[in-house]
Amino acid sequence: MRPIITLTIVGLIAAALLATVEDLTREPIALAKAEMKRKAIEEIFPFGIDSLKNVETPKTKFYEAYDKKGVLKGIAVESATTLGYSGKIEILLGVSPEKKIFDYKVVYHLETPGLGDKIDKPKYKEQFRGRALEGTVWKVKKDGGEIDELTAATISARAVTDAVERGLKYINEQYPNSEGK
Amino acid sequence: MNEALNILTRGFVRENPVTKMLLGLCPVLAVTTSAVNGLGMGLATTFVLLGSNIVISLTAKVIPDTVRIPAFVLVIATFVTIVDLLIKAYSPELNQALGIFIPLIVVNCMILGRAEAFASRNGIWYSVIDAVGMGIGFTLALFVLSAFREVLGSGTIFNMPLVGEDASTILVFALPPGAFAGLGLIIAGLNALEKKKGGK
Repeated sequence: MRPIITLTIVGLIAAALLATVEDLTREPIALAKAEMKRKAIEEIFPFGIDSLKNVETPKTKFYEAYDKKGVLKGIAVESATTLGYSGKIEILLGVSPEKKIFDYKVVYHLETPGLGDKIDKPKYKEQFRGRALEGTVWKVKKDGGEIDELTAATISARAVTDAVERGLKYINEQYPNSEGK
Repeated sequence: MNEALNILTRGFVRENPVTKMLLGLCPVLAVTTSAVNGLGMGLATTFVLLGSNIVISLTAKVIPDTVRIPAFVLVIATFVTIVDLLIKAYSPELNQALGIFIPLIVVNCMILGRAEAFASRNGIWYSVIDAVGMGIGFTLALFVLSAFREVLGSGTIFNMPLVGEDASTILVFALPPGAFAGLGLIIAGLNALEKKKGGK
């Protein structure tokens, strides 16, 4: 009997302790997550944001960025692909109201450090600036497209190209008019 | 006091959990791609080790032998979850970098090893010293390996570039094989030093 009682007591104490810590950290964790997202959104837009409006659809989330006068300056969209070298890659893609790309940020990836993770380097991302869904062949050059691949990391480049294209398609579905309204 | 000093310092090099006992190598090999990750992992593990050693040294006498291991695992898992929640709340960047490896501290055999081999047989005072010593040793090993790999593999240290962006680095050190090679080199170096000392 004694082992059962002891183990039960240990379990109960552990559960109580964890419940307390979880309760104390729930708010900071939610804040930290929101802060990370906000920072990522600020990073991909070349202008200051006055207010953000979140739009959630079953497929993804959009963030509309407004300036002080309430004019829509940009839209960010969450996009992802499973074509990465090590599985899922999630990006946050920012476009202008004319649906031209400002920049994107990789928010989650498991690509190879030093090779595939260059998909999040400014030097690589530069080539996406100003591109739109129409007028670009959304493939890497090796596959007959227009996007530069990365030395020794073609799969990662292909994957991020796919994620960007998906993001642009989400935006097209959500904002069919070119003004983005 | 001498005994305490002995317990504290033996984890540094003489009985270093990584380079001498080769314990808990999963995080050692997996997260040491940058110095920040290495340090973060080392400190998180040290915290768990300290907590589990304290609790286990205090409770070892009242826990029957038959359920000793499950009780230890429960204690360790509790501390790991606490660390995981705290890192998520106060250092989301570190959380992103270490990700899955924080929960995996639970199965770091170094911690269970110290609980079983030391904390359950010694008082709280020595157990604390043991945890600090082993924790420093573990962190030190992770830091050296991760700094080594970051400098050679990515050409940066603490994310600050040491070479131009276009310079080619020894990429293999940023990849998993480089972790094995780096650890092997460090262990070989330490063994050579020890041999030299012993030969005198």
